[in-house]
Amino acid sequence: MTPVTTSPVARVLQRVPVPLRGVFPFLVAIPLLACVHFATSGAPFFVILSLGVGVNVILAVSLNIVNGMTGQFSIGHAGFMAVGAYTAGLTSTILSEYGLSFLPGAVSDQVMFTLSLAVGGAVAAAFGFLVGLPSLRLKGDYLAIVTLGFGEIIRVIVQNTDVFGRALGLRGVPQWTSMFSCWFIVFLTIVVARRIAASTHGRSLLAIREDEVAAEAMGVNTTAYKVRSFVVAAFFAGLAGGVFAHYQSIVNPGSFTFVKSMEIVVIIVAGGLGSTTGAVVAAVFLTLLPEALRSIFLGLGVSSETAQLVDQARMPIYGILLVLIMLLRPQGLFGTRELWDLALFKPKGPEHFPPRPREGGAL
Amino acid sequence: MTSATTASADAILDAKSCTMQFGGLCALKEFSLAVGKGDLKGLIGPNGAGKTTAFNVLTGVYAPTTGDVVVDGVRMNGRLPHQINRAGLARTFQNIRLFKELSAIDNVKVGCLSDATPFFPRSKIEALRKEGNGALAYTFEAWGNYLDWWRAFLLTPGFLREEADIEERARTLLEVMGLAHRAEEAARNLPYGEQRRLEIARALATGPKVLLLDEPAAGMNTREKQDLMALIRQLRDQMGLGILLIEHDMKLVMGICENITVLDHGETIAVGTPEEVKRDPKVIEAYLGVESHELRA
Amino acid sequence: MAELVQHIINGVAAGTIYALVALGYTMVYGVLKLINFAHGDVMMVGCYAGYASAHTMGTTTASSFIGVTLVFLISVGACALIGFLIERFAYRPLREKPRLVALITAIGVSFTISYGFQLNLSLGGLTILPGASPRAFPEVITPADWLVVGDPNYPDIVLRNTQVISVLIAVALMAALQLLVFRSRFGVAMRAVSFDHRTSALMGIPVDRVIALTFMLGSALAAGAGVLYAIKDTRIEPLMGTQVGLKAFVAAVIGGIGHVPGALVGALLLGLVEEFVVGYGSSTWRDAVAFGFLIVVLLFKPEGLFGRVSAEKV
Repeated sequence: MTPVTTSPVARVLQRVPVPLRGVFPFLVAIPLLACVHFATSGAPFFVILSLGVGVNVILAVSLNIVNGMTGQFSIGHAGFMAVGAYTAGLTSTILSEYGLSFLPGAVSDQVMFTLSLAVGGAVAAAFGFLVGLPSLRLKGDYLAIVTLGFGEIIRVIVQNTDVFGRALGLRGVPQWTSMFSCWFIVFLTIVVARRIAASTHGRSLLAIREDEVAAEAMGVNTTAYKVRSFVVAAFFAGLAGGVFAHYQSIVNPGSFTFVKSMEIVVIIVAGGLGSTTGAVVAAVFLTLLPEALRSIFLGLGVSSETAQLVDQARMPIYGILLVLIMLLRPQGLFGTRELWDLALFKPKGPEHFPPRPREGGAL
Repeated sequence: MTSATTASADAILDAKSCTMQFGGLCALKEFSLAVGKGDLKGLIGPNGAGKTTAFNVLTGVYAPTTGDVVVDGVRMNGRLPHQINRAGLARTFQNIRLFKELSAIDNVKVGCLSDATPFFPRSKIEALRKEGNGALAYTFEAWGNYLDWWRAFLLTPGFLREEADIEERARTLLEVMGLAHRAEEAARNLPYGEQRRLEIARALATGPKVLLLDEPAAGMNTREKQDLMALIRQLRDQMGLGILLIEHDMKLVMGICENITVLDHGETIAVGTPEEVKRDPKVIEAYLGVESHELRA
Repeated sequence: MAELVQHIINGVAAGTIYALVALGYTMVYGVLKLINFAHGDVMMVGCYAGYASAHTMGTTTASSFIGVTLVFLISVGACALIGFLIERFAYRPLREKPRLVALITAIGVSFTISYGFQLNLSLGGLTILPGASPRAFPEVITPADWLVVGDPNYPDIVLRNTQVISVLIAVALMAALQLLVFRSRFGVAMRAVSFDHRTSALMGIPVDRVIALTFMLGSALAAGAGVLYAIKDTRIEPLMGTQVGLKAFVAAVIGGIGHVPGALVGALLLGLVEEFVVGYGSSTWRDAVAFGFLIVVLLFKPEGLFGRVSAEKV
């Protein structure tokens, strides 16, 4: 029998006592993230950069649940992010005026930050439910258009509402996002995505992607599952929005246009639809690429105008990249496989189509 | 017309004069069929006779225009395919519809849906449904399922136990169907005959009471066909399944099925034992055409 | 009452332009079952081609009858070429791939064109890419009010020459298209290809050529629409294509995508609804109207007003 390739994390988990398996990754990650947090506290530029990367990773991994695992095609993810950003931002601006007097200031801030993130995520999830409903009747390109339309409608609504500051946006959102909180949520998103994929629910989602009619005939409530994948993805997009709002401090409609949605689509397509690790790798790479290019060009002594042109060229480059990926490698970087499935990391070679790890939860 | 009702009191699947109309076209007319525990029945007919339409009506892909489909005493008209599957009806497809990119074992695991939702046990939900509280049952089911997602996020011991159970069930089924050595292979890489068997394994994983097989032997050679038929009979004997079989190969159906329904142009033209059906002039006419029948006579 | 009439006039004029763009979506969808996301951007390229040619000629030359015709022809030619290139190099290699792959490619092409035009690039004094700042389209047709009802200073109803001209041109183009699709050999080939590529190829229809021509035809219509839009709005910018394109697509879906008269009806409906929302509500809601309308139609009649339901075979 061919060996099962499991994620390294799952292999470690096999040795952890069953009741602890759920929390074990967090027990490892939290001290680690805390170390990184304090180690980088002296490098604000790096922190800002990594927060941007973190938000994109959350967005990509969550969109991958809908587009990669369930096989639907949503191109309005920025809409959910906007919902999360505005509700979380608004909640915390209101909350920050009160403060919990019985706690030290910093702790009280973090409690309220968590609370407003949760509110943002929950409201975004509710919108995810609303947007997921059309997926019961629409397929493929039509659904794509509806999600796009939703994203645009959200933007227009925000622009016309006084509470959200109309076109100017929300200002003075407290800057509560830290290196630790951002990457903790990134970690949470990845864990949840991997655990969904490795569970009976994840298999149902994959079955819908492969063949909806057959999935339905095998007892999978396809309609409910499709809506749920939207709900989960929207929740995390909402968290991403909250994180974004609390480090930018300004939330305006311009941050959540179709361009933002497309950026995330490019990331997951490049990483391979259906591959969580692919989404992570592509998100990190494609977010850092323009920054890196700009630094390189500036370092080479090119005039800042040309460097700016490079920055502007980001969008057309995304477009060309998308076309080239589709023409040359439509399955993306990893296809539906994960990082550890690649030949590079595998103990044995000849197996052509490594199955995805399933045993006892992946991460 | 031969009396189409072979109604047995203990029928698990009972189709009562189902008619399926597509616009002006009547694809299925007054179709009746009952499959009980341990039955092995066949459904045959020339191309375009409405066999697959009959399957689709039985499994809820189409809702019958008139008539009733009753599974385990519950009227299933208008229910969705997954609900009918949960009630105990599983099927395979004429043109294989596996989850191609998933491994063989994952294909089977999709069928092994977790039945235990810890907050609202399935038995309670079913009881509610039988009492006529459909909406309440649905609400409980949906929320139970959401809560189950949380168990998957938290990797609770109960959840891990269930996953292990599913794994074991899936491996056993693969073994029964002779596919254990293919467990980790992507479904699309399996040879044709194995794909057909994998589809049966997947259907069995849903824990059916009645299994509907749509041309399970299509594209197989004679030997493979015989093996498959032996396997099907074995499934019936060991698991006590009721099996309904669509098959093109007359000889095969005649050899294995105890009761055969013959369709032509959506109408049931004969029902009976293989011997009766074989002698029925209407069946000969449908299969060989009037003229050749006359020529032979 | 007068206000209502004025809104209807404006709505119909806007709707006919949407209709011309929507026809391109519908035709391409008909033969390829692909939503050509880049279609709106092809229209934008048409606007810029018209702008460039009018500028080179000078406004006085361009506003003569021959000049205007030339502006139209140049932009039609440029768009047909772009359409051909897109089809040849982006879509044709993917024709046998899953539809999602083609859809992602289409989005990529759209992105490349619209954001590529936002770059500011000129070589040796020749502008290659125009940059993001909006430009004023030359007045090739001098605006005039052909019909004024009420006080000339505060008129109740105004009918502009540009509106009449754009409606006339749009109607003429659509009539020509209808003739082409239903009365010519090319139209027969097109309809055959839209049913089944492989069978059409077996029947001796040059499928590749038919698809390429359909693309070029759709793009040419978009170019016409683009110039009309630019004359009406007098302001062009690289991202206008995405906006107008999406609305035209919505119009095509509302009418039932793949259905030529449906696209016209959908576009007129959309033009009117938008005009009413702007007129009686607020102009800031304008962009939400199309999508709201789309979602309502798709939820209650997913096949559009004139489309047919196609059931999946199990």
